[in-house]
Formats: sequence, C-alpha cells, structure tokens
Amino acid sequence: MAVRERSSIQGADTQFLDPAVLSRISGLDLLARTVVDGFLQGLHRSPHLGMSLDFAEHRAYMPGDDIRRIDWKLFGRTDRFYVKLFEAETSANFMVALDISRSMSFGTGAVTKLDYARYLAASLSYFSQKQRDRVGLATFDHEIVEYVPPSTRHLQLILHTLTRVEPGRPGTLRDPLMRLGDNLHHRGIILVLSDFYEEPEQVIDSVRHLRARGHDVIVFHLLDPAELEFPYESAASFRDMESDIMIPIVPDELADEYRTLIGQHTEELARLFTGSRIDYTVLDTSKPLDYALFQYLSSREKMSRVR
Amino acid sequence: MGLLAPLFLLGLVGLAVPIIVHLTEKQRRNVVDFPSLMFLRKIPFRSTQRRRIHHWALLSIRALALALLVAAFTRPFFANDEVAIGSTLGPREVVVVLDRSYSMGYGDRWERAKTQAREVFAGLDASDRASLVFMGRGAEALLRSTSDRDRLLTALDTASLSADGTLYGPALKLAQTILEESQFPNREAVIISDFQRNGWKGDEGVTFPPGTVVKSVLISDDATPNAAVASVAFRREFFSGQERMTATARVVRRQGEAPADRTIVLEVDGQEVQTKTVRLDPTGSATVTFEPFTLSELYTRGSIRLDPDALPQDDVFHFVLSPGRAMRILVLEGGSPRPDASLYMQRALEISEEASFQVDVRRSTSLSAADLEATDVVVLNDTRFPQGATEDRLRGFVEAGGGLLLVLGERSAWQTGLEELLPGRFGPARDHTRGAARLGYLDYTHPVFELFAGPRGGDFARARFFRSRDLELGPEGRVLARFDDGSVALAERRLGDGHVLVWTSTMDAFWNDLAVQPVFLPFIHQVMRHLGGYRERVPWFTTGQVLDLADPDGMVFVADRERELAPDVAQVALTPGGGSVALPATSGPRFLELEEAGFYEIRPPGTNPERTLAIAVNVDVTESELESMDPAELAAAVASREAGGEIGAGGEMLTPEIQARNQERRQSLWRLLMVAALVLLLAETAISNWISRAATLRFKDGRSYVPSNT
Repeated sequence: MAVRERSSIQGADTQFLDPAVLSRISGLDLLARTVVDGFLQGLHRSPHLGMSLDFAEHRAYMPGDDIRRIDWKLFGRTDRFYVKLFEAETSANFMVALDISRSMSFGTGAVTKLDYARYLAASLSYFSQKQRDRVGLATFDHEIVEYVPPSTRHLQLILHTLTRVEPGRPGTLRDPLMRLGDNLHHRGIILVLSDFYEEPEQVIDSVRHLRARGHDVIVFHLLDPAELEFPYESAASFRDMESDIMIPIVPDELADEYRTLIGQHTEELARLFTGSRIDYTVLDTSKPLDYALFQYLSSREKMSRVR
Repeated sequence: MGLLAPLFLLGLVGLAVPIIVHLTEKQRRNVVDFPSLMFLRKIPFRSTQRRRIHHWALLSIRALALALLVAAFTRPFFANDEVAIGSTLGPREVVVVLDRSYSMGYGDRWERAKTQAREVFAGLDASDRASLVFMGRGAEALLRSTSDRDRLLTALDTASLSADGTLYGPALKLAQTILEESQFPNREAVIISDFQRNGWKGDEGVTFPPGTVVKSVLISDDATPNAAVASVAFRREFFSGQERMTATARVVRRQGEAPADRTIVLEVDGQEVQTKTVRLDPTGSATVTFEPFTLSELYTRGSIRLDPDALPQDDVFHFVLSPGRAMRILVLEGGSPRPDASLYMQRALEISEEASFQVDVRRSTSLSAADLEATDVVVLNDTRFPQGATEDRLRGFVEAGGGLLLVLGERSAWQTGLEELLPGRFGPARDHTRGAARLGYLDYTHPVFELFAGPRGGDFARARFFRSRDLELGPEGRVLARFDDGSVALAERRLGDGHVLVWTSTMDAFWNDLAVQPVFLPFIHQVMRHLGGYRERVPWFTTGQVLDLADPDGMVFVADRERELAPDVAQVALTPGGGSVALPATSGPRFLELEEAGFYEIRPPGTNPERTLAIAVNVDVTESELESMDPAELAAAVASREAGGEIGAGGEMLTPEIQARNQERRQSLWRLLMVAALVLLLAETAISNWISRAATLRFKDGRSYVPSNT
C-alpha cells in the first residue's frame, strides 16, 4: 500500500512543493497550508489518519487486556470474548526538535537547510494540527533555544517561532535532546530535524534517549546537495561554519573520498537508527518537500497501528 | 641586441604574480563556508596538491603573451646588424682597416682582430667588394676592392704582425681613397684596432665619403700590464788603452697592481754577459746600469732583454756600437807664442769621454800634405796665416771637409787672399774700454751652441772679454756669436765640404777669461766636433725609418768604413727575419726600409766578412703605451661632415638616411612581438572560453559546481 501511495504522490503536481517556489512565500502559515493542502489533494484520500476511534479488527481476549475493550455485543452473539482494536491513538503529542546550529544555515540552492527544515516543521505542525494533535517545537543548538510545549493551540506560536529562528551557535545533539526528553512527560511523536554532524554513535545515543522514554522518533537528516556531492573544483580554504577552522582543500583530490565518507556516515546512521526502531530519512534540500511529507505520513501510519 | 626601454623588463615580474597568487593568496581569499569539516579532516592532507595548476597550456599562453607584451614595450633593437642591413640595400664597398702594429701582439689581440675581420668577410654578399688595408705607421692595401672572398680570407690568414707603431692617418686616408673611388651606393669602413691614443693626433684630415658607415671594432683587454725597455744610454771610457762602454737601460712599466721584480739581461754579440733584477713600480720607470764591457770590435751587437710579458716586442732593445775614433787636431802657434796660448785649449781637449781628441801643438805654420792627411782640424792660434803652398794645401784641406779654426790674437795679421778663405776681414785689436765685453748673442741653432740652448745649458755671459779684434763680415760669413757691443765674437764660413771658424779673441786667459769658465770645455769640444765633422754613431734606429744608403751625410751615422757603402758596390741587406733586400750598385738613392726589429746586416752579396755592417732596429717604444681612445671619437672625426651622421652604440658613424633605415629595421621587432602577443591572447580567449563552457556543462551535469578559472 505504501508503494502505491508513493506512486500516486509522484504522479501528483508537486510544483508548489518545490523549495525554490516555497521560498517565495513569506508567511510560514500560508506556506504550511499550501504545502499540506496541496500535498493532501494529491493523495486523493482522507488525510485524517488515526485521529478517530475507527474500528480496525477484533482480536481474541488475552489475559492482561483491558476488559473495557471487550466487545460485549459480540460476546452476546458468539459467547466468546473479543477485544476491539482501533486505528490510532487520538490527540497525540507532535513535537518538532529543530536543529538551528550554524551549520544548518548552509545552502547552495534556493534554500538553506534551516529554511528547508523550517518549511518541514511548519508544514508538519500544520498537518498535525489538522490531525488534532498537540503540536510543540523545540529549537536547539548546543542547548534548547526556544521551547514551545505541545498544545492544540500553539500552532501560531510555533509558526512565529519558526519564522524568527536564527542560526548562530555551534550545536550538539546530546544535551538538548536529553533535556527535551526530560521535559516531555507524555509520550508522543518527536520529529528531529538536523544535519547530524556528529559521529553516528553520538547521534544515536542522543536520539535513543528520546526513544527510550517511549516517544516515537522520526529523524530527518537534512543535507544540502553540495554536502552530498561535494562538487567543488577550485582549490580553496574550507571553513567549518561552526568552529571557524579553515583547511586548504583541493576538491578534485578529495571529492571521491568525501562522498565515500558521507555515504558511510548516512549508512551508519541508517543502520543504527533502524536498529533502534527509529525512522531515519536523508533529505536532499534541493528535492521537493513531498518526499519528506510522504516519509512522515508513512512513518506516522506505521506508528498509528496499535498492536 | 639591445633594448631601448629596458625598465619595462620589470613587467616580467607580472608573470609571477598570477602564479604566486594562484598558489598562495588565492586559497586564502577564496574561502568556502562548509557546514562541517569532520569528513574532510579525516582525509590525509596533501600540501603539494594545493599548488597544482589545472590548465598548464592556458597558463603558458597567458604567461607567454604577457612576456611578449613586455618585450614589445622594451623596444628591442639589433645593435650590430649594419652589415646585414646593408646587404639588403645593394652592393657594398667594404674597407677593412686592420691594425697590425706590434701592440696588437698583446696577448691574443691579433688573433681576435683577424677573427673579427674574417667575420666581416664572411658576411659579404657575392656582389659586395672588400679591401684589406693594414695599418701601422704607414698603410698597405693588401687587396683592393675585390669580391673574391677566398683571396681576402687567404690574405688574412697569411697576414702577420708588424714591428711598426700606430698612425691612423695613412691607413684611413688610403681607406678614404678606396671608398671615394667606389661606385657602389653603400660604403662601409670597418676599423679593427686597439685604438691606441698615441696614434691619433686629430688633424689627420681624413673624411670618408658621405653615406659611409664607419664601424669600429675595439680589440682591447681589461688590464694591460706591460713593461718595456724604453731606451739605453752609453758612456764611453778609456781604460788602459781600451775603450769600455757602460750601458744604462731605462725600463718603464705602464700598468700593474704591485711592484714587480723583472730580470734584465745584457747581451753582447749574442753572448749573455750580465743579468740583473730590476724592481718596477706599478706605473713608473727604473734605470739599470750594467758593468762596463770592453768595446774593441766594429759593429758590436748588443741587446738588453727583459723577461718577456704579454707584449714581448718591447721587452728587448738592440744596439750596435763601434769603438770611438780619436779626432786629430793640429794646433799651430807660430814662433814665440805666449806660454799659455794653447794650454787651456789643449787641456780641455784632452778631457773627453765620448770623442777623444789627439792634440798636436806646433810652433810653426808649415804644413805638409802628410800632416793634413792625418788631421781633422787645424787651429791657427794667434799666428800669421800660412802663405804660399801651405795656404793652398790648407784651402784644399778645408774644401775636402777639414776644419780650420782661426784664433785671432796679437800676432794675427791680415793678408791678401784671406777674404777668399775667411768669413770676413779682421782688423786690429781693440780694447773694450767700458769695462769688459761679454757675449751677448749666441746662435743656438748652430751645432756649436745648440748644446747650450737648454735651460742651465751653460752661462757664456760670465766670461769677460777685455780685448778682441774686429771682424768685418764678408758675404759668405755667418755670425755665430757677438759681444754685447755688437762686434763679432765668432764667425763661420763654409768652404767646400769644410768649415772655417774665426774666433776674434784669444784662447788663453789674457784677452778674456773664458778659458777658466765652466762652459769653456764643452764649448771647445763642440767647436772641434763641428769642424772635424764628428758624428756620433747611431746605436739603433726605430722601425719604420728609411735609410738612404747612398747618402754619405746620412750614413756617417751608420758606417765606419766608407767603402762599405760605396755606391759602386752592390750590397744586400739581410733582415732580422731572415729575408734579404738587394741594394744594387747605382748612382741614385738606395733606400732601405727598416720594417723589422732586430739587426740588419749589409754586405756585398756572396761575401761573409768578419765584421759586417750592422744596423740595430728597435720598435717604437711609444707603441707600448696601450691606452685606448674612444673608437667613437675616431669614427666621428672621419665621418663626413656633410652627412651629419651620428655615432652608434658600437662607435659606428651612421649617416642620417642609413641611420633612419637602420633604426626603423632594428626597432621594428616590437611590432612582431605585439602581433604575436595579440594572437596568443586571442588563442587564450578561445581556449579559456572553451574550458569555461566545458566547466559549465559539467556543472549542469552535476559533475561540477564551481567553474575553474585557471
């Protein structure tokens, strides 16, 4: 089914999801609605997944099940105990953890990684709001910079916060995510948007903490095409945007090795996140947002299944 | 090749700028912000790659274009292409004036000069004509206006250095004549020389035809240390009946850095008799006096040699000496003379180093033919003039070349017929009443007094004359000295080949005190030498001199035996180099040009006498002064005034029209360089555009991001 849905997405008109087009929209509110509504129109299906108590199936009662879920009508007809399984939880927390460290300001195309992440955060928050979830936002670099607790009324605050975030400081994952995990008392969905310039073990240690607290974690790894392809030719001094360290580089000689290393890095992250049952997706900021939205919906769909 | 604006070469520094910037500064300025270097820092850093240049061809083209532009702005020109240029303008008349004076023998100058001349001949076209003129003190056109290059080169190969000095005038005059006779439109004079200053006087009067290109080729050395034997002086002494000669050599050193010891050797008749060491200052002279040697043979050959240096020709000095011959003087006093009438004169004549005098004093006035045959000078000292046959013999003696001195005193008396013999008629004795008379006028041009012409040459005015005899000068007479009252003191008359002198006072200390003055001895010696026809033998000659062996007056300086140079005897002269010059018997002049340094021998052909007449010839020592003049000075002096040309960088004298043509051709190189630079820049534009497009395509293909700029 997922494959079928994706093919339908690819067939949709995604012009308005192009980051270059979206960058011309000044308000994140409008942008989020444009993205989500356009995206959902392309899906040709109900966007409201798991938000109601939709019956999914019956299952035989097993000791330990909540007796309140026993379908007594069916017991009356069959004299057997069955419990009802529903499609999803309702009123989930949707928390966006947005990395606003200085490296997120990098961009070689129409938008920077932070812009791209901001669009995603706004769109998915808007989307979740429409799902009647409680939406929240935490921006962080090496600490939590802005924190908007999850609420059904905080969408505008989130959009406003996203509008004025400015990258500026070096960032780390562990401390802010640990702090975020500690602040979220109710389990929910946490969307982590970052470029993850840390060793994979450190990254997974930081994110796994959220998972360990029962949150469903969706990780979007944002990378600019230049970070993926390293297309530079001229020798130049490359400056680390967070540490300001400069290194003279002859790209011709290093590009292949760089691509190999970034590939190994993403593969290792994917392996580790998958092992921790965390959905991990690498997003090219030059690509339309529909792919990210699809990945989110796909992940959300999987999470909504109650077993 | 030269540059009109060499400072533009600084522009070549610009070549390094893009490369240096590319390799160093560029990376510093071209900073790429990147999210994280965590992956790049894992890659081993290779510093050498940082300096990699991507497009060598492009860089080379740009650098070459810039270099050509810089070269064009420096305005390069060819400095020595007059020959080549001339060859394109029509046939040329080229005169090569090659200095072969002996100073060109310094080091390898001669070979260098011949090489330069060969290059000129090698650059001739088939239609060109060339002449080869050798320059010394004279000029010799070995080949004149020929287009046969092989003959020119052969003549050059067989040419040898001469022992001559340098005089620019004759050779340049000869070159002028050749150029003036030429009908070719292009004329060129190439002067190859060491350009010694002492050969140029500035008034040579040489002017090449208008349009002549004068090219000077200076053959020189950075330093020219040189020593030479400048001259040799001799002092004769008679010791135990033998004549001894003391030679004193003067050695000069022209250049040098520190005092140097040189060995100097005296050779006599080919035998080394003495060796000495002389210390020479860097620029100075020294004298070396050798121990006396006995001179007993005619034509004794001697040489004084320094150990040879870079210019060996002036390190040896030759001379020929013969024993001196005593001059026989017969003094006739007549009867009852004063006791000291001839005393002072006799004593003075007995004191002599160079020319000894044999004085015979007689108290009679009779003379036999035998007496006169063995006499050079007859002195009639205060006595009556002989009469009769003696007078006739005396007249004949004088006319044959003998000398007669008439000293007038108390006993001198005029007699008829003496006016045919004496310079004037003398009168009675006259006292100088207003104090003593003094000699007020001396004819210093006369051989008797020329010795005293110089400063401090002798003070005759100190001599006081109390009495003298007046002399009424005849038409044949010549006054050589006068007293301060205007009366004649000494008069001369030439009679035949001989001379008659009349001294109007005495030679004792009675009428005057000249005999006790210092000038008396040299004065009386000079009088006797003049009357006796004494000629000091010339020990040496200088190269370039020409002797007329048939001139007896001239050859008395050379030969001691009249027969040796008799005009009716054929002679042959053997040169120092082994050649021979025939001197046939003739009534006309017999010239012998002394071209080589060394000893010339003159003898009848087929004979080998024991002591052959020898003539020593030395090089002109002024030639050993190697100071050079500016070739441009000479070129400017000989260039045509009508042409109004200017002097080129190499000392060339260029006429305006040739100068303009040459200047245009020599400097036109910048245009070619500019065109080449523009072509390269166009090529660079095309290539860089192509590279840029290729980079853009790669970018669009996702394989490139930043187009390369180098």
